[in-house]
Amino acid sequence: MEQESPIDTEEENLENSIQFLSFTLGSEEYGVAILSVQEIRSWEPVSKIPNVPSYEKGVVNLRGAIVPIIDLRERFNLEHSKYTNLTVVVVLQAELRGKNRTMGVVVDSVSDVMHVDKNNIQSAPDFGTKVSTDFINGLASVNDRMVMLLDVSKLLELEGLNDTDSNDESND
Amino acid sequence: MKINMPVTDKEVHMKDGTILVTRTNLKGVITYANDAFVEISGFSYSELVGSNHNIVRHPDMPAVAFQDLWESNQRGEPWTAPVKNRTKSGDYYWVEANVTPVYSNGVIVEYLSVRYSPSREQINSASQLYKELNDSKATTIRPVGFSKLVKQIKETSINKKALLTAALFLTPSICLIKQSYETQDMLHLGIIAFISLLAIGLGYSILSSLLNTLSDTQGIFRKLSDESFRNEIELNRNDQIGDFKRDLYSMQVKLNADLAFSNQVASESLRIKQALDNVNSCVMVSNNNLEIIYMNHTVQAMFENAEKDIQTDIPKFNSKKLLGANIDQFHKNPAYQRGLLATLNSAHNAELKLGSRTINFVANPVMNDDGDRIGIVVEWMDRTSEVRIEKEINELVTSINNGDLSNRIELADKEGFFENLSIGINELTDGIDATFSDINHSMQSLANGNLNNKITSEYKGVYNDCKENINATVDKLSEIVGQITESADFINNTSKEIASGNNNLSERVETQASSLEETASSMEELTSTVKNNAENAQQANSVSTKARELAENGGEIVTSAVNAMAEINDSSNKISAIIGVIDEIAFQTNLLALNASVEAARAGEQGRGFSVVATEVRNLAQRSAAAAQESKTLIQTSIQKVRAGTEFVNETGSALNEIVTGVKQVGDIISEIAAASLEQSQGIEQVNQAVAQMDEITQQNAALAEQASAASVSMSDQSQTMIGLLDFFDINASNNITAPVINQQAAPSPSSHSPSKVIRKKETTKPVENNRIVSSSEDDEWGEF
Repeated sequence: MEQESPIDTEEENLENSIQFLSFTLGSEEYGVAILSVQEIRSWEPVSKIPNVPSYEKGVVNLRGAIVPIIDLRERFNLEHSKYTNLTVVVVLQAELRGKNRTMGVVVDSVSDVMHVDKNNIQSAPDFGTKVSTDFINGLASVNDRMVMLLDVSKLLELEGLNDTDSNDESND
Repeated sequence: MKINMPVTDKEVHMKDGTILVTRTNLKGVITYANDAFVEISGFSYSELVGSNHNIVRHPDMPAVAFQDLWESNQRGEPWTAPVKNRTKSGDYYWVEANVTPVYSNGVIVEYLSVRYSPSREQINSASQLYKELNDSKATTIRPVGFSKLVKQIKETSINKKALLTAALFLTPSICLIKQSYETQDMLHLGIIAFISLLAIGLGYSILSSLLNTLSDTQGIFRKLSDESFRNEIELNRNDQIGDFKRDLYSMQVKLNADLAFSNQVASESLRIKQALDNVNSCVMVSNNNLEIIYMNHTVQAMFENAEKDIQTDIPKFNSKKLLGANIDQFHKNPAYQRGLLATLNSAHNAELKLGSRTINFVANPVMNDDGDRIGIVVEWMDRTSEVRIEKEINELVTSINNGDLSNRIELADKEGFFENLSIGINELTDGIDATFSDINHSMQSLANGNLNNKITSEYKGVYNDCKENINATVDKLSEIVGQITESADFINNTSKEIASGNNNLSERVETQASSLEETASSMEELTSTVKNNAENAQQANSVSTKARELAENGGEIVTSAVNAMAEINDSSNKISAIIGVIDEIAFQTNLLALNASVEAARAGEQGRGFSVVATEVRNLAQRSAAAAQESKTLIQTSIQKVRAGTEFVNETGSALNEIVTGVKQVGDIISEIAAASLEQSQGIEQVNQAVAQMDEITQQNAALAEQASAASVSMSDQSQTMIGLLDFFDINASNNITAPVINQQAAPSPSSHSPSKVIRKKETTKPVENNRIVSSSEDDEWGEF
C-alpha cells in the first residue's frame, strides 16, 4: 500500500523529482545524481599509480577506458575500511570544462535509487560536515534519513585530477 | 586235830641266820614268840601269844609227828625234826624244829622251841617221809619193826654196849684161852687172860669215868639251864675229861659273864626305858610286826586324852589296850601303812587325822648292830591346836587367795606367839583389803566408764607403785579415750562419706553397666550395619563397575557424536560457502539491477519500464541477499551451535572419561570400603569382646562397689557403735588430766554430741537398708544381664 502511494506520487512528481543513487560511507548516507553514475561495479584490484595522494588507489581498465579509483572515505578524511568483495566502486562521469571525466569512487555500499523532490532539497550548511561543503549540493531527507547530496562535478573537480583530464581527453 | 585251811603252794623261806624262838607252856599255849617268828608266821604277836601252838600247823604235817613231839617232851626229852608250818595267809615254810623242855628247879616248867632254816635235803626227805606217813596212816614217826629194833640196838645204853663190847672182845680171848687151855699152852693162856682182865678193868675204868663225867656234866648243864653259874668243876685232870671239864668251866664262866653283860645291858636298857617313860615326847616302839611293844607315859596320857576323838574314827580304839596291840589300828588303811612301815629304812614323817585330832608321827627304824631292822620307834605329837591355828591361817590365806578379804583370824582363843601371829596376819589382811578396796573402787568406776575416780589414799612401796600405775592408767585411758573418740568421730564421718561415695560409685557402676549394655547392643547394631555396609559396598562396587562400563560406552557415543558434529560443521561450512556464493550472486545481481536502474534513468521515459524491472530485480536481488544473509546468519548460528555442541560433547567425553576414572576410583574406594568394613567388623568383634570384658569387669566392679558400700556402711555402723561405746566413758569431769588431753577432748566432746549422733545413726541406717535392697535387685538384673 505504502509502495503504491509513493509510485502514485512518484508518477505525479516525476517532473519535479530527481533520481539519486544513495550510498553509505560509515554511518553517513550520501547521494549522487543518478545521471552522473556511469556504472556500479564491485571492487576489483587496481593498478597502483605512484606518487599520488593516498586516497587515489590506482586505476582500472574499464572496457578499455582507464578509470582512476579514489577512496571516498579517505578523501573525506574518514577512517579507512578494508576492501571486501562487497565493497562497491561507483563509476561517476561528469562534464568538466567541456571534458567528460570518468572516475570510480570506492564506497562502503550502494543503498538505493531514490527519487528526491527538488523542493525537499535543502542547501548545504556552511559547516558541520567533514566534507567540504564544496562537494555538497544539499541535504535531502528521505524516509527520515538525512542524505547528503554530492555534486559530482565538484567532487570530480575537487579531485584535482587535471592531468588525468588531459589524459582522458587524449585517450578520447 | 586242828586243820588250818586254806593252804597255798607258795613257800616262804626263812632268812639264813635267823632263828625262830617260841615259848609254850605245858599245855602248848604260846607265851612268847620272837620277832622273826612273828614275822614269818604272818600272825600278829597278840594273835600268837595266848594261842595254841597248833595255830601254825600245816595240814601236810602228820599228826603222829606232833604226837611224837609231845610224847618226847613229856618224857622230858628234846625233839627235833623238819616241820612244815603254815603262815596266816596259807603259805608254808619249812623249819628245823628243836623243842626242848625247860626245867626250873628240876621241874619242867615250859617248852622252848628253837627253829633253824633247814637244808633242802632235809626238806625233801621230810616231805617224802610225811607223805608216806600220811598215806600209811602211821601212828608214829618213830621207826617200827626192824628199824625200831635197829634203833633200839643203837640206842642201847652205854653200859650194855660196854658189856656187849667186852663180851665180844672177850669171846676170841676166851676162845684163845680155851684153845690154849686145850693145848695146855699156859703161857699164852696166862697172857691172854691177863690182857683180857686188864682190858676189862681198863675199859670199866674208862667207861665209869666217862659216865661219871657225863652225869656230872648233865647236872652242871641243868644248873646252867637254871642260870646257876657257880658250879664246882674239877679242873685239875690231865686227860681228855680234864680238857672237857676245863672247856665246860670256860663256857660256864663265859655264860656267866655274858649273862652279867646282858643284865648290864638290860639294866641300861631299863634305864633308858625309865628315861623314855618320863620324857615329854610321846614315844612308842613297835617290833617288826608293828606290834606296840613299848609306850612311854606321855604317849599313854596323850592317847588316853585323845581316846574319844580317836574313837570317832576308830571305834575299837582302846587306850588301855594299846600295848601289844598292832599299830595298824591307828590307820583306816592298814595295808598301806603296813607296806610303808615294812620297808621303812629311814625316818618317815606322817600325819594322822583321828577324829578332830591331828596327830603327827615320826617313825624311825631301829637297827641292830648288823644293820637289820629290829623294830620301829614312833614319836607322836598331838598337833591339834597347832593344826587348828594352821588351818585357820590356811583358810584365811585361801580365802585371801580366793579374793575374800573379809575374813580375819579369831583372836579370842589365841595367846602368845599365835596371838601375835594372828594380829600380824589380820593387819596384813586389813592392808590388802584396804588397798584392793581402793583399787576395786577405782577399777569399778573405770569399768563403768567413769575415768574420774582415782585412788587418793596414801600407800607405800609396791602399793604406792600400784596406785600410781592405776592412776596413770586412768589418766592415760582418759587421754586415749579422748583421742579415740576424736578418731571415731572422724572415722564415722569419713566412713559415711565413703559409704555415700561407694553408693555413688555403685550407682555409677550400675549406670556404666547399663551404658555398657547399650554399647553392646549398639555394637551389635553396628556389627550388622557394618556387614550391610560391606554388602552394600560390594553391590556398589558392581554397580560402579557397570557405571564405568556405561560411562565408557557413553564416551564412545560421545566420540561418534563429536564426529557427527564435525561432519555437521563441515556441511554447515559448505552451506555457508554456498550461501556466500548466493550472496555474492545477489550482490552482483543488485549491482546489475542498479546499473540497470542507472541505464533506465538514462534512458529516460523509455527506460521507465526497464527501470521498474530493474527495481524488481534489485528487490529480488536484495531479498535473495537478505535471505542469503539470513541463511548465512542461520548457518553461522548453526555452526556456532554445532561448535558449542561439539565442545559440549567433547566436554561430555572428557567428563565421561573423568567419570570412568572417577567410577574406577569409586570402585576402588568401595573395595577399600568393603575391606575396611570387614576389618571394621573384626574390629567391632574385638570391641564387642572388650565390651563384654568391660561388662564383666563392670559387674565385678559393681560387686566390689557393693561390697565396699556394704563394708563402708558396716564401718560406719561400727564407728557409730564405737562412738556409742566411747560415750560410755565419762572423762569430762576429770580435772587432773593434763592440758593437751583436755584440748583434745574439747574438740570431739563426745558426751555433748552423743544424742545427735544417735539420731544420725538411726537416720543413716534406713538408707543403707534401702541401698541394700536396691543393690540386691541390681544383682538380680545383672544376673540376668
